[in-house]
Amino acid sequence: MNIVAVTACPTGIAHTYMAAEQLEKTARRLGHQIKVETQGAMGIENELHASEIDAADVAILAADIAIENSERFAKVRKIEVSVQEALKNPEGVLQRAAVA
Amino acid sequence: MAMSREFQFQCVLANGIHARPASALEEVTRNFTAETWLVNERTGYTANAKSVLGIVSADIRHGDSCRLVVQGRDADEAWAALSRFLQHQFPHCDTALVESVAARSDAGDLPRLLRKAGGRIHPGKPVVGGIGRGRLRRGQGLCLTEAISRQHADGADAEIHRLDAALSALEAAYESQLRHQESLLGRSLLKAHRAMARDPEFRAYLHAAIRKDSCSIAGAVQAAEAHFSEQLVRTGAALLQERVLDLRDVCFQLLQQVYGSAAVSERLHLTEATILVAESLTPHQLLSLNRKHLRGLVLGMAGETSHTVILARSFGLPTLTDVVGLDRELDAGVEAILDGECGLLVTDITGGVRRYYELEERRLTGRRQWLRRFQRPEIRSSDGVTIRVGANISTAREAEAVTSLGADEVGLFRTEMLFLDRAAPPAEEEQFNEYRQALRTLEGRSVTIRTMDIGGDKPLSYLHLPVEDNPFLGYRAVRLYPEFETLFRTQIRALIRASAFGRLKLLIPMVSLVEEVQWAKQIIREEQGRLRSAGLAFDPTMAVGAMIEVPAAAFLLEALGRELDFLSIGSNDLLQYFTGSDRTDQRLHRHFDPLQPAFLRLLHKVVTEGRAAGKPVSLCGELGGRPEHLPLLVGLGLDRISVALPQVAAIKAAAAQCSVAEARSLAARTMACATVAEVRQLLAASGPRTASLFGPDLVLVDSDSTSKEEVIKEVTDRLYVTGRTAQPRLVEAALWQREAVYATGFGHGFAIPHCQTDFVQLDSLVLVKLREPVEWKGVAGDFVGVVLLLVMRETETAREHLKVFSQLARCLMDEAFREQLRRENDPETLCSILKRNLRE
Repeated sequence: MNIVAVTACPTGIAHTYMAAEQLEKTARRLGHQIKVETQGAMGIENELHASEIDAADVAILAADIAIENSERFAKVRKIEVSVQEALKNPEGVLQRAAVA
Repeated sequence: MAMSREFQFQCVLANGIHARPASALEEVTRNFTAETWLVNERTGYTANAKSVLGIVSADIRHGDSCRLVVQGRDADEAWAALSRFLQHQFPHCDTALVESVAARSDAGDLPRLLRKAGGRIHPGKPVVGGIGRGRLRRGQGLCLTEAISRQHADGADAEIHRLDAALSALEAAYESQLRHQESLLGRSLLKAHRAMARDPEFRAYLHAAIRKDSCSIAGAVQAAEAHFSEQLVRTGAALLQERVLDLRDVCFQLLQQVYGSAAVSERLHLTEATILVAESLTPHQLLSLNRKHLRGLVLGMAGETSHTVILARSFGLPTLTDVVGLDRELDAGVEAILDGECGLLVTDITGGVRRYYELEERRLTGRRQWLRRFQRPEIRSSDGVTIRVGANISTAREAEAVTSLGADEVGLFRTEMLFLDRAAPPAEEEQFNEYRQALRTLEGRSVTIRTMDIGGDKPLSYLHLPVEDNPFLGYRAVRLYPEFETLFRTQIRALIRASAFGRLKLLIPMVSLVEEVQWAKQIIREEQGRLRSAGLAFDPTMAVGAMIEVPAAAFLLEALGRELDFLSIGSNDLLQYFTGSDRTDQRLHRHFDPLQPAFLRLLHKVVTEGRAAGKPVSLCGELGGRPEHLPLLVGLGLDRISVALPQVAAIKAAAAQCSVAEARSLAARTMACATVAEVRQLLAASGPRTASLFGPDLVLVDSDSTSKEEVIKEVTDRLYVTGRTAQPRLVEAALWQREAVYATGFGHGFAIPHCQTDFVQLDSLVLVKLREPVEWKGVAGDFVGVVLLLVMRETETAREHLKVFSQLARCLMDEAFREQLRRENDPETLCSILKRNLRE
């Protein structure tokens, strides 16, 4: 599966990155391709380009706040989860993404 | 022709007419010659409405119907004024008080751990920090030495004349205290006391006792106190009974006024750990107490700058003001904890309360220990410039602490304390002993002794100075020396003689004319000559300097420099005079702000022009005691600062962390600012932000915390101990705010509480390893044994630190990394593990 994801938590200091790390690690372990954009205190990092989003099978929006530039994901198949969920149960989130 | 008018009203005050509303009413009635009577229709009692004691004795309670009768020549005007007052102001004259107490008892301000602990909390206003524990005890009472006769000897007329003079002096003293009292509660208490001092019923009773029973003032006051107390107690209303204390205090002050504090002041013998509760306490009374057992003070009224508070601060004695409703606890003499940090008195000490204060003690001791490394002389800035930090003291007794705290010198020894609260000035010998003791204790370090700064707001009864309308702008210090030349010469002789015992520097306050300095120097020369011919030893090279605290002096530096050996900036008064704003008036806090660009430019001018005149310039005001402002002062060119004793170590720590080169550039930029806000912004953005995010100092292994609340307190306390925050409770609040979104436990026995707040000076990472895991409430059954605290400043966020935090967050998702942190218990090793993985 080719996955794109965005993580964003309220303070943007810790959970944004923990969730990103969990999603990346778990997806790779399960043989998926993934790119995770983080929206934290440092701003947007590892930004997703329109072409990457268009080419993706699914988008995972793991956020506890409104994410920036959400219109980019208007046309793509997507699931929305909390940061906590992505952090604590990344396998479950990826399973849901696969059947979304 | 006598006119008579009446006004009917119902008492709407929830607490009835106690002393404070009564004194508000008296302030109106006393303006008219008409007689005014207050009738309580419930009891039929008629009281003189010009007498506070009369009004409160009428025992008017909530809902009582009352009648005010006005009779006399100006009855119409009086009636108009009084009906206006009773309709519009009277219903609200207790509100400010009730509100100010309610605002402070807001439980939201309490630290979370203490809120959970369940003790009985009495809020107050903290004036000296620290924690003290002991039994509550009343610190006042009328104790006249038996030596004073209860019968008069010189005839009733003379005695009455003396009494009337003392009553007027007392009223004037309250008047003057009122001008400097900023707290609402303090003001209303002072007004109530003033009203009693001028109460016609009180005065009539005293006169009668002197005339009819041949009482002395002492005898009459004792009789009056007993009489009016009984009246108050008989009313049965709790609030009125409390006023017995007010009455006792006024009587006490009156006797002090007549016989001097030595004859009247009560000697309290403390035999166990005690928290003293006193409506007022003179510096002498404080000094007479056994400090071994004295653990805290609760004062009814005391401004932050009162001498008693300055002394308490210097002794590190936790002190509160404005605590109300302690009578039951006082009568029972219960054990209490005085919390000068949060501004609370806690009774009903539960296990939780005990634990909270155990942790508080740990925090304060930890801070003292951490600061110890800076308690050495000759601190150098990070770029190698020596910055001298001295201590301000008011008594020779404090001198011992000066050396133990590592201060380089005594930069200011205020001698006023020797002159206050007594019937006659101190003799030369007494002064000499005091100064010599300080010099001997300091063993060769210099001691700058300021000649008496008396008069103005520090009136002395034995000088018989008239009350001034504007005491700060008046007749004080060097200005009144010529009139009291004998007094000045006595002090100068004591100082010259003491100069043989160490390095004494003499400092003259309030200089604004070169002639004042010339005159003082002439006196010094004359006294030195006399002592020389008497064959007494002294230091002929004793330095003489002046306080730069009146702006005029700042424009005479070259001329002053020719006369003097050194200059010392008194920042409080200089700021007050320069900005034309009374420092005790809270409405002027924007004007009385040392960070305004104009004032910074003035300081810079004084330092550079003083230097150009070849004279060292130091600073000994309150401004020097704020560690966060130190770089600014250093940047303005100051390398010699003297601060209150408890601040010495913190200022030394700030000096060690400061870079003089950076400070100069900071000072130059702040002087170019137009507003205080811009200066503050520059200050906030400066400072030693380059310090490491973490270090062995910030690693705690084997923590005995037993709950999430304790852990959160422990990590923020660590930031306080290491000087990374001055306000751990506010950092704690920010962390809890973040925890409220969702708990920061993420499984595997780890939690990462975090927040962004400018209440930290430095971005920080704290690692705590718990002896026993605690529940974090992140997910059900989420027990945590390793806690990593991440705190970032909000403004001027450092990207490289955010980067480190995000790296850490990612690393924590790796079980191998977590296992390393779980296994290792040596702080140094833990730091290197972090460093290796984070590439800070």
